[in-house]
Amino acid sequence: MQKEWTGELQLELTEKKNKTVPADVYFRGAFKVMRPIYLDDSGQLTYYLLNPGGGYLSGDTYSMDIRVNENARAILTTQSATKVYKSPGEPAYQYGKFTLKSNSLLEYIPDPLIVYREGSYKQLNQFYVDNTSTLICSDIITPGWSPTGKQFSYDKVDLQNEVFIHKELGVFDRVVTEPAKNNPSVFGRMEGYSHLGSMMVISPYMTDEVIENIYDMMEQKDVNFGISRCPVPGFSLRILANQTQIIEEILQMCHGYLREVWFGMSPVFLRKY
Amino acid sequence: MTNSLLTFVQLCDSNFPIGGFSHSFGLETYIQEDVVKDRISFQEWLDTYFREQVKYTEGLAFQLVCEALCENDLERIWHMDRLLYVQNLPKETREGNTQMGVRMLKLAESLFEYGILANYLKRIKQGKSFGHSAIVFAVIAHYHRIQPREGLGFYLYSLVSNLVQNAVRAIPLGQTDGQKILLESQQLINSVAEEIAALTIADFGIVSPGLEISQMKHEHVKVRIFMS
Repeated sequence: MQKEWTGELQLELTEKKNKTVPADVYFRGAFKVMRPIYLDDSGQLTYYLLNPGGGYLSGDTYSMDIRVNENARAILTTQSATKVYKSPGEPAYQYGKFTLKSNSLLEYIPDPLIVYREGSYKQLNQFYVDNTSTLICSDIITPGWSPTGKQFSYDKVDLQNEVFIHKELGVFDRVVTEPAKNNPSVFGRMEGYSHLGSMMVISPYMTDEVIENIYDMMEQKDVNFGISRCPVPGFSLRILANQTQIIEEILQMCHGYLREVWFGMSPVFLRKY
Repeated sequence: MTNSLLTFVQLCDSNFPIGGFSHSFGLETYIQEDVVKDRISFQEWLDTYFREQVKYTEGLAFQLVCEALCENDLERIWHMDRLLYVQNLPKETREGNTQMGVRMLKLAESLFEYGILANYLKRIKQGKSFGHSAIVFAVIAHYHRIQPREGLGFYLYSLVSNLVQNAVRAIPLGQTDGQKILLESQQLINSVAEEIAALTIADFGIVSPGLEISQMKHEHVKVRIFMS
């Protein structure tokens, strides 16, 4: 049996008269959501996730179960960066299960993950997606400040995303960085950069033109990036840079572009600072 | 009467016609960016590529397929085939591996006539599987009663030998340098194989961001002699 989670969240979101509303909200421990808000008049609902504990410690376990029902549209974000502190022994762990029913839309755009000296973090997200629904999700890995001013002081970050379309595994995306063990500057690893951003998009609206347009927008930025079509309709984008802000700007640009071309919605500004 | 060792020499030959000469798996991006430009920088790339990518993907898959074959667990083999396909996010690298896998499978099926290879081919035609050379290679090793650890060495060698040949053409390097790299890479092959022996399915699919980005970027490399 699973031991008790440090923080637990369950959300079920449903469409009612062109508006997405919560059908079930449950949280306990060190996870909490604020009251949902509507950022525009599209009927799309936005939840801000909070970690009242202030940060993740060794052995902490967090669980999220997010269900987006038929035709519902939601944004899930965080109120501030997820901070992972020194975690000797067990890494801090977060599990997310996301279910997207037909014609639904989920944009899961958390703040950056900041991993401090000797911090260790493992995240597993499983997305169960209907082939008519759209998922947009992103991650940013940031090394935390260390007393010596040394970059890359964290031990390990292991982020794993699995996408199932009609129960069949369609994408397995796993990035691990271990700066304490391997010199991240060696080419092939972090290429001398300190921050990594990723975006994964799964959508029936996917076309080659989307990739080309994003590629053209990106080429003007001073970052190392790659974008490619996934094994299922969608794409994966990776960005290496030296500042969180640069990655956030790019992710926001891509996110805004997709909202506009696929859903005719305007960009949203999720950050609080 | 065929000899197992000679059969594996044949499989590992970079002339074994599965199309390996068309794929650089991101190396060409680094060559274009002038990051890989000589023997030393190529060996650095090779080292990172094997330790940070091959080890956790096709290398580990080879070992897991050998285990599944010993236990006659076909479902696990088909699952590994899917995992190898869906974890490969750069499109060209994914398609390159699939093309080489299918070509190797067709060739192996006509050379060895094992039922499992015919079955694998049938699944690919039905759209249930994708094809990967690691799996085909592991099947051949299994039926030749080659120890998994030894088979893995042969398989890793076949990957290295192909990449060295491609580097000799693309960087370019001298043929003698190529052979020196190949001889020196035995150390890399052995240590990667040893590290794989300590891994389990829980370690599968790890990629290094830089390598993956170089494989994605290859789609936009202007002048190219490789398909990935």
